Amino acid sequence: MTEPLLRIEDLRVDIASRERTVHALDGISLELAPGEALGIVGESGCGKTMTALSVLGLLPPGGAVTGGRVMFDGRDLAAAPAPVLQDVRGNSIGMVFQDPLTSLNPTMTVGAQVAEPLVLHRPELSRKEAWTRAEEMLRLVGMPQPAERMKAYPHQLSGGMRQRVAIAMALVCEPKLLIADEPTTALDVTTQHQILELIDGLRERLGMAMILVTHDLGVIANRVDRVAVMYAGKVAEESDVRGLFARPRHRYTEALFASLPERAADSGSALHTIPGLPPNLAARPTGCRFAPRCTFATDECRTREPRLADDDVRGGEHRFACFHPVPDDASEAEVVVPPAVPAPRAPGDVLVALDSLVKEFPLKGGAFSRRRGTVSAVGGVSLEIRRGETFGMVGESGCGKTTLGRIVAGLEEPTAGVVRFEGHDPARMSRAERRAHRRRVQLMFQDSTAAMDPRMRVGEILREPLVIQGVGSRADQEKLIAELLDAVGLPRGAVRRYPHEFSGGQRQRLGLARALTLSPDLVVADEPVSALDVSVQAQILNLMRELQRERGLTYLFISHDLAVVRHLADTVGVMYLGKLVESGPAEQVYAQPLHPYTRGLLDTVNLPDPRAAEGLDRTPLEGETPSAAKPPSGCRFRTRCPMAQEVCATTEPPVSTPNSAGHQVACHFPLSAPRLASAV
Amino acid sequence: MTGFLVKRFLQALVVLFLVSVIVFTLLHLLPGGPARAILGPKGTPQQIEHFNHQQGYDRSLPEQYLMYLKRLFTGDLGESFKLNSPVFDLLKQRLPKTLLLTVLSTALAVIIAVPLGLLQAVRRGKASDYALTGLAFLLYATPVFFLGLIMIILFAQVLPILPAEAPQGESVGELLGDFTGLVLPVVTMAFGIVAMFSRYMRSAVLDNLTEEYVRTAMAKGQSSRRIMVRHVLRNALIPLATLLGLYLPTLFSGALVVESMFNYPGMGLLFWNAAQGSDFPVLLGVTLVVGVATVVGSLLTDILYAVLDPRIRSVA
Repeated sequence: MTEPLLRIEDLRVDIASRERTVHALDGISLELAPGEALGIVGESGCGKTMTALSVLGLLPPGGAVTGGRVMFDGRDLAAAPAPVLQDVRGNSIGMVFQDPLTSLNPTMTVGAQVAEPLVLHRPELSRKEAWTRAEEMLRLVGMPQPAERMKAYPHQLSGGMRQRVAIAMALVCEPKLLIADEPTTALDVTTQHQILELIDGLRERLGMAMILVTHDLGVIANRVDRVAVMYAGKVAEESDVRGLFARPRHRYTEALFASLPERAADSGSALHTIPGLPPNLAARPTGCRFAPRCTFATDECRTREPRLADDDVRGGEHRFACFHPVPDDASEAEVVVPPAVPAPRAPGDVLVALDSLVKEFPLKGGAFSRRRGTVSAVGGVSLEIRRGETFGMVGESGCGKTTLGRIVAGLEEPTAGVVRFEGHDPARMSRAERRAHRRRVQLMFQDSTAAMDPRMRVGEILREPLVIQGVGSRADQEKLIAELLDAVGLPRGAVRRYPHEFSGGQRQRLGLARALTLSPDLVVADEPVSALDVSVQAQILNLMRELQRERGLTYLFISHDLAVVRHLADTVGVMYLGKLVESGPAEQVYAQPLHPYTRGLLDTVNLPDPRAAEGLDRTPLEGETPSAAKPPSGCRFRTRCPMAQEVCATTEPPVSTPNSAGHQVACHFPLSAPRLASAV
Repeated sequence: MTGFLVKRFLQALVVLFLVSVIVFTLLHLLPGGPARAILGPKGTPQQIEHFNHQQGYDRSLPEQYLMYLKRLFTGDLGESFKLNSPVFDLLKQRLPKTLLLTVLSTALAVIIAVPLGLLQAVRRGKASDYALTGLAFLLYATPVFFLGLIMIILFAQVLPILPAEAPQGESVGELLGDFTGLVLPVVTMAFGIVAMFSRYMRSAVLDNLTEEYVRTAMAKGQSSRRIMVRHVLRNALIPLATLLGLYLPTLFSGALVVESMFNYPGMGLLFWNAAQGSDFPVLLGVTLVVGVATVVGSLLTDILYAVLDPRIRSVA
């Protein structure tokens, strides 16, 4: 290995708040060669972001380096005074943050913000030269009409374009190292892909090294040379990317991979989960930090701390800290696979039918101004959901899937079209009937805490729907709630606590319990696992499946995550700009997508396996979704479709079933070739 | 931007129309009507009837409102009973002076409060922050008249360097000519505003410091000073702009106390004297002006907003 560009040695970081001090990083050592790409993965709170921030001395208030060194260019950045750090930041190390919405200054033009590092670090450049270079940089990051965009403000750009601006800003001084902290987490799949491609291209062009921090194993698998897996403030395992994915040695890495819905044998089986929660880092745990959640833990693991040591076979290329590693010859299949769950019952009769559902929102300038136009959120969707099945609705943000869910749940009135429950239209019911009908459809949200009154105890929150609907006596209600808490795996004592006292996964359990209090027929779940870490996500998905089987529930499962939907759904619908472009049995839609959009989406997804992408003919989606206020004529996808013809602009494609009766597509030129088998 | 201003101006006209309706209604809610107010308790019924007929008060309300509007457009706000002069002339003479007082003290306050708030935010939790916070609360809690008294005692009596009475000139120019006389009223009025604005500035800066764009700015390698000036200041001024506009009518009423204390010949003093002498047309005239000030204040807020925040500009 050549002389490293960056060497982090035994770095320790504490974050002090009024109540406690968290030992966020506890002896991290990492090296990065010039031009190399290192990925840091781990679940929330593992310290991956703190590692990235401490390189540039950007720790949050209360954060301080308590030990170790960060050697860069012969200087220790951890001990460097402010002027030295300011000279390095934005100059030889550039940084890109997660949220392009909030990480740009809303009151400064894009040009001024991109030119700023030049003004700071290249005093020899005139203002005009800096501006010209900034414009060149914008062109380089793929910003259309860079000259005009220089004068735009961040809010006038889409999320993907803002992230391009943030990248331009980080790279305008041509740094030797780029630190990207979850750069694509806030973006849609297709935008995510474009941004990652962009970073790859620029890295090659500028010969930069990169640290990519992410929770997304799919992103890490395809974009870096080496990976460090972090757990509870320590590096658990470090290896070249192929070695890690092919042969994880640490039991945590193994369990993490096994929790991925992509790795589940098929949609009938339960996902592997990691029980419990990461340790509290305010107290330094003794022994291996993963021991309390590890099925292989022995007394040794609980008392002695394993050191990060070289792999016995592969040497320094692969290091891990585990006393009982995955055996060297183990194949992935040897992961403890949970017992297969019985196959789902054959789907029943139609529970919900949507008929040409339309929802439009007026676009208004202000209280006194007139209507400026219409946003077509849902543009005529017809579908059927059968009793006992999971209907998975996928699509990118703004495609109308959430609005559709809200209409089905009765929270929005459709502009046109009908929703029928067992043939009845709730809009034509009497008030009393509609009230009674409400209990049959319940919602589960992405952020269950935000959906619960923070000043109500869990017991009251769960009991409220029963009180409103007048179900049973108080004692009956309390008994029912206790049973529900058992069912979702929460202690009965939870009723006396407040929502904020629960972890993310527990809150989603609460959200599910709340949805189930009135024993509904249909649960509309809107991105219920999107905010969760992989291991917790697996727990919730398993729970949802289990309860479905026990109670004969029907789910309308809305998500942007194709792998999660594939794992859970029996039937899949794909939405694009308010239209249902394709729907059918999950296996069929994934194995042989008929719509170019579905195909493009599947090709865009980052597979959590460095080998999977090879040899696959993937054509990822390009461009951005047009505004729903001005949807394209004819087929709404035509502006991004590689196969678009004239007819696509003039005529809206009719629904056809070229493959099999249940597999519908709305396209003039449906695809015929099946997609090659792959993980998603 | 122009379209936005035109629209905002038309909205302001609507609000002003409503203000005129309210003021007109108030005029008719006077106990015993305007006639009783003018002629006093000794006026005979004949005199009252004659007065009402003469003034058109015996016609229907809508008719009267139209007349009132017509008079309003020609600048006729009625006559002061006590000063025997048209209310319009009185306002024309006094309004600029109050405006001078308000503008000077607000400008002084903003010039002091903005850096003060920034400083406090930067030194958050340190001794200087606590000291300034304590001082701000003390000033904020002190009534203006008490503050004025202290100022007079300190700077006009103990240390006689400034006059205790405001200049008595006829025009704004004359007032400005006697600048030393303006110091005490302006400073007294500014104190309370500084206390309030610096608190707002402090919390706005603190809010902005936790924003992610500040971290981005740091990641570019800027010094804290530059980040404050180039990034945080403008964003922190946005909430202050709202406050400034909404505070304008309150400033007018603050002027009332200050003017009567320092015998400053502005609208506040006029109002004070009119209130003591039940000079209703003057009171109503001033009320209308305060109504206008409120509308202008919110218009000012919107304009400042649009100047400071590009997001508002594109929505409007």
